[in-house]
Amino acid sequence: MKRSFLISVALLSLASALLYWTVPGKRTDIPVIYWVTQDDENKRATVAAFQQWMADEHLPPVELRIDNTNQEPTKKLVQGLSGVGSDIMDLYGYEADLFPATGMIQDVTEDAKRLGFSPAATYPALAPDFIINGRQFGFPRNAGVSLNWINRGTFAKYHVPEPPMRWTMDEFEALGKKFVAAANPPGTRERIYFTNLVPREQLRRGLGLANYNETSTRCTLDDPRNVQILERVRRWTVEDHLIPSREEGEAMAADISGDGSMFSHFTSGRFAMIYVGQWALIILRPRGTFQLRAVEPAIDGFVNTDMGGGAVSVYARSKHLEESVRFLQFLTSPHFNNLIARIADGLPPVPKYAETEEFLRPAAHPNEWGTAAVFAEEARTTGITMSKSPFVLQSILYRVEKELTETMVSGRMTAAEAAKAMGDRLNAEIQLRIDHDPALRKLYDQRVAIQRQIDARRAAGKPVPAAWINDPFHLAYYRAHGWLEKEATP
Amino acid sequence: MSGLGQRGSPRRRLVSGIAFLLPNILGFAAFTLVPLVMSFGIAFTDWDTLRHNIFRHETLRFVGFENFSWLFHHPDFLHYLSNTFFLMLGLPFAIAGSLGAALLLTRVSHRPVARRGAFIFATLFLTGSGLLLRLGGMSQVGVWFIFGVLAAVSLVAGVLTGGSVYRTLFYLPNFTAGVATFVLWKKLYNPSGPINAALGPVLDGFASVVRSAPGLFSWGVPLACGVVATALTLWQLWRLRQHWDDATAGTVSVVTGLLMLAVPVGLQLHWFGLSAVTAVGGPLGVVLIGAVLILKRPRRWGPVCARDAGLSAEIALALGLVPLLTLLAVGVTWGSQLPALAAVGLPAPNWLGDYDWAKPAIMIMGLWAAIGSNNMILYLAGLSNIPPELYEAADMDGASPLQRFWHITWPQLAPVTFFIGVMGVIYGLQGGFEMARVMTKGGPAGSTTTLSYFIYIEGFETGRLGYASAAAWVLFALVFILSLLNFRFGNRSAND
Repeated sequence: MKRSFLISVALLSLASALLYWTVPGKRTDIPVIYWVTQDDENKRATVAAFQQWMADEHLPPVELRIDNTNQEPTKKLVQGLSGVGSDIMDLYGYEADLFPATGMIQDVTEDAKRLGFSPAATYPALAPDFIINGRQFGFPRNAGVSLNWINRGTFAKYHVPEPPMRWTMDEFEALGKKFVAAANPPGTRERIYFTNLVPREQLRRGLGLANYNETSTRCTLDDPRNVQILERVRRWTVEDHLIPSREEGEAMAADISGDGSMFSHFTSGRFAMIYVGQWALIILRPRGTFQLRAVEPAIDGFVNTDMGGGAVSVYARSKHLEESVRFLQFLTSPHFNNLIARIADGLPPVPKYAETEEFLRPAAHPNEWGTAAVFAEEARTTGITMSKSPFVLQSILYRVEKELTETMVSGRMTAAEAAKAMGDRLNAEIQLRIDHDPALRKLYDQRVAIQRQIDARRAAGKPVPAAWINDPFHLAYYRAHGWLEKEATP
Repeated sequence: MSGLGQRGSPRRRLVSGIAFLLPNILGFAAFTLVPLVMSFGIAFTDWDTLRHNIFRHETLRFVGFENFSWLFHHPDFLHYLSNTFFLMLGLPFAIAGSLGAALLLTRVSHRPVARRGAFIFATLFLTGSGLLLRLGGMSQVGVWFIFGVLAAVSLVAGVLTGGSVYRTLFYLPNFTAGVATFVLWKKLYNPSGPINAALGPVLDGFASVVRSAPGLFSWGVPLACGVVATALTLWQLWRLRQHWDDATAGTVSVVTGLLMLAVPVGLQLHWFGLSAVTAVGGPLGVVLIGAVLILKRPRRWGPVCARDAGLSAEIALALGLVPLLTLLAVGVTWGSQLPALAAVGLPAPNWLGDYDWAKPAIMIMGLWAAIGSNNMILYLAGLSNIPPELYEAADMDGASPLQRFWHITWPQLAPVTFFIGVMGVIYGLQGGFEMARVMTKGGPAGSTTTLSYFIYIEGFETGRLGYASAAAWVLFALVFILSLLNFRFGNRSAND
């Protein structure tokens, strides 16, 4: 028995050693770096372009491998904080806020200056997505705004006029009702909707309201303007059926999971419009030739669109920091930008590549002509990144806002109650964070003092310095209304 | 054998033994004991992964009971705790299902040949019914899934193998990978999936029946529910009086038996719009009066039993009676609205997408999983331990099958039922994570977020390990209290 036991231990040890020595990094002298992203045709083309760029730049060879098994945010976080994160990571949504805050993302400010991938290389409006407290933590691998994609064939089928490029919420409601009435005669089994969703944050911004105040020290979702938007959303969902409720959305998801369901219903005509970025073309192109247009979301007041991009960041404990940072430099190269322009994975991160004929009027896709120019123009003019606060994690904002909106739409609370609950819960969250974190408390106190000055100046009708404002929406809003001090206006 | 065991010096044997145990001990220490102790410590700190990790070495702060205090002031926590308890309401049905499965399997394995004709008939009947429903307009998916596959395969196979296939089929949920099962159920629950395809025509038919006699249903449903609820309540009161008189129930048991009636009555009063004081105070007052009326009665055989005699039986009964009475209270309160709902048609539920249906949907799935679980095995073992002479005596006295079950099987299985009940409560408190993660992401509007999923969100999405640990230890405290009850009353019951 003892002999068997010892033999087992020896065999297992040997197997572990063999496994260790067969990992790619041990088998070769070439550094191997891992990139956490989707494993698809476009990403594999990116890897090939990277290798080509390294060769063209006469840089030492590096093997770039895609790691698509660790994309889940929690896995990335836990692995990163345990010291075993992948060298390069795609960061989406709240990750771009959370991960750098933990310290697991490499500060690449100096490398960016040295290698030419500083914020100046991309769209200025994108900077808040990868610049935190003046330090750079990544670089976008694409850019873009979300707009309403229009399936022109669906509108033509029901003899309903297409929406204009810029429209108000009342116009949206009127046209939506007309469309839904035409597309859903009595006895219709499968309901047809005007659009898949409306962007609540952009609707609120249109009325001059952001998630937070100018210094991001207070959640302002308890404002009456949010009540107004929530009531609209409830009416459009429950009474007018312009957009599906969560229940109806689940029903439509049928056997198709994720975003695929949305595109299937768009191409089959069950959604007249879908609200999504330009990357939609990656999915739409293989599904056929559809006559497409892109228009702004219907917004009252201050016209704005949701600007964002997939940022790529470097893990702070990467064993190949220099090679990983080189990948961020590669994102500014013609190799990469032309590839993005060709596959239509949003706008290329370097704006000048969005001006090429290949991007604006792809020869193989004349049905899309005109849409790329709209996306590029909106990114330059109306795009604003999401409002974030250092005192609240975005994941918590998403969860609270989504849960309470769903609760309100299902009739379990009024819009006013939902808005108040959003404000109360998120402001309680701010209080909790600053109570536990002395550094945050200090920052909070500083910003609250600035906020008082902003409020005083605004009450007196005086302009304020741009440097006082942290929220990207408020900055754009103040700028548009001429409320910034002259010297701070670009 | 003894010679083998005594080879070598005692010290050498000790070292060998420890060497064999060491991998397990090390694994337990590394992955269970140390994290357990650490999590207890973390619960009293402000550990936040944003600030306390290998990249940022900020000092941990001892915060005493602050995490626990904040937990109970947080609306989410109480909401999710209530979700957890709500999902546990399915437990009695799961226990009943397990018992039913065990009883059926016992019968099938005893007399496979005698039942063969009945099985073949049932198979043909169900398959034929499926075909008729298909001809009647039901969707193909629903018909074939529900009748064609399940009925035909399971019944015919059962006939051919004399019950062993049934045992395997019933036990199937227990050895099927959880996530795969949840994905499968997600497909089944799809609004246009097989379950709704089968339900649609049934609901349409029922709606037309309700529409044909709306008056009857508007008062008939509440009345029927009220009558059944009253009958069950009176039966329980009669039962308690009998047990008290026979000295098989002590003071604590009688009060417990009365308190279980107070829960649905209190809910009923609350749904009728009475104040919280009335809804709580009213039933408690009635319990008090009932207790006085019963407990002051002289015992037939003198005061010979302990105060908590029969308590395990009362708790086991409560697991079934309280949810049933609560459901009847729902019928009394909202049954009259049935005609109004039927007037516009009764749509099949959007199981996982609707706030009101998501929790019941998960309960139903849990019921399916629980029927063929280890509970069924425990019941099978319990049934085999019942002395056959008890049944023989009952047969000689001319007892009916129902009387045999009620007076022999059920009391004999009381310790098993109690054990299963308490273990079910423990698992119920800890459960719900995989289902929430895979099927609903805790939605809609947080309706399926359980405590375990909440702990995960707080620990790994929000990063507040201190807070998540505090929630985990509150959960542990709940489990611990119920485990104490198990040791206190379950053992006594088993030894009675």
